[in-house]
Amino acid sequence: MTTLQALNRDRLKELFDLRSSYNSLMGGDFQTDPYPLWARLRAEAPVHDGTVHKLSGYPGEAFFQGLPFPDQPHFSAFTFAACDAALRDEVTFASSPAVVDGTGEIPGFETSMLSMNGAMHRRYRALVQPSFVPAKAGWWITKWIEETVQLLVDGLVDQGRAELNVDFCAAIPILTITHSFGIPIEQALEVRASLGTPAKIAAMLAPIVAARREDPQDDLISVLVQAELRDEDGVNQRLSDLEIYSFAILLLLAGSGTTWKQMGIVLTALLERPELLAAVRSDRSLLRPAIEEALRWTPTDPMFSRHVTRDTEFFGKHLPAGSVLHLCLGAANRDPARWDRPDEFDPRRPVKRSLGFGGGFHICLGMHVARAEMLVGIGALLDRLPNLRLDPDGPQPRYIGMYERGATEIPVVFG
Amino acid sequence: MSVDQGVAVVDRSRCVGSGMCIVYAPGTFAHDDEAKAVVLDPAGDDLETVEIAVEACPTSALRLVGDQEEQ
Repeated sequence: MTTLQALNRDRLKELFDLRSSYNSLMGGDFQTDPYPLWARLRAEAPVHDGTVHKLSGYPGEAFFQGLPFPDQPHFSAFTFAACDAALRDEVTFASSPAVVDGTGEIPGFETSMLSMNGAMHRRYRALVQPSFVPAKAGWWITKWIEETVQLLVDGLVDQGRAELNVDFCAAIPILTITHSFGIPIEQALEVRASLGTPAKIAAMLAPIVAARREDPQDDLISVLVQAELRDEDGVNQRLSDLEIYSFAILLLLAGSGTTWKQMGIVLTALLERPELLAAVRSDRSLLRPAIEEALRWTPTDPMFSRHVTRDTEFFGKHLPAGSVLHLCLGAANRDPARWDRPDEFDPRRPVKRSLGFGGGFHICLGMHVARAEMLVGIGALLDRLPNLRLDPDGPQPRYIGMYERGATEIPVVFG
Repeated sequence: MSVDQGVAVVDRSRCVGSGMCIVYAPGTFAHDDEAKAVVLDPAGDDLETVEIAVEACPTSALRLVGDQEEQ
């Protein structure tokens, strides 16, 4: 890739504005700051009846993993201890209501490892985990991230001003993940637009999968076509095309949206605190803690769900088998039982795990790639845009969204 | 390392290779070829750092044992 000319910026804006119709399904247009309410709910009881969006006063229906399941009772956990306990107990709290084994007629995340449990999930995850370990961050940066980031900065460095949320933050993850799949840049945005239509994605992937089966390259589809899954009888089998499509759709879904919003949250938090931004600029070792703190303070995905497999008493609530337990990770990440001054964005606080990337056996596979994208992306902005600051004449960024949180826009000036 | 200090032990059957331990205690942990955590250097970080990494393991695959204990 030598040029980003093929990137349609209007289409980019349409797909990557939380308030657009494309993102409203997950409650992207929710304007209220939910944290004060979550603090009250968390203080009242660890677990409440109902869904997080209803308890947060969201008008209407919002969708995310674990929703809607209208015929099941729903509960929501708000403390760190309760969320952590549920994430660690995959026997009582399963990732899907039914057994998912990777076979089926239709590709999609419902048949991917996101919805698997136990040993099945472990076997599938192990196929791709080696491509996503911390030691592979350099591979991701050198092969896919660095060039994209520098080209994006090239496009705005002479302008003196920019809108970083869409033109920068949104572009990096979608280009990184599609590029690593061998999908041409002309199709990158179409992938994002088609995530709700798995058959379209499968059609885009089919020629690439076929080509990599013939002639493997140093990319992710090649990893998937060469991966061998050991079944219960100890026999090694290659993944079917359908399994590869489901795998790929999950990685595209997870890899194209989350890091966009999280990077915007990190940037906004820093730009709103000019002294802190200056400190990070002069001491780049502060950037990594700032990213970790943003993941705690405002995780872009503040909720994931688990399906209760057996009647259980859980932090003061009776949860019947078949019910859905929503884990409000956003609230858990500001639990005063675990963090002092939890509502404060403070990258210098003592290091400690948060639930920003989830937890348990399903903890975010791509977290080290996400970290690398944010480090390289924000690092390049600090390197190349002197005196970077919020545009005093532009709209100030706000944090919005229900189940996918992020910044409205990030207008900046520099130079 | 004194006898009252702990060393981390990896339960390979629970490790999914998330890499959280490497984030928090990069001097101690690494991955093998199967992306399973291994203790590369038991003295690579101070005890407090290793404790934070052990607590951070999302699948409870790490624990600290005393030097005297059988591993």
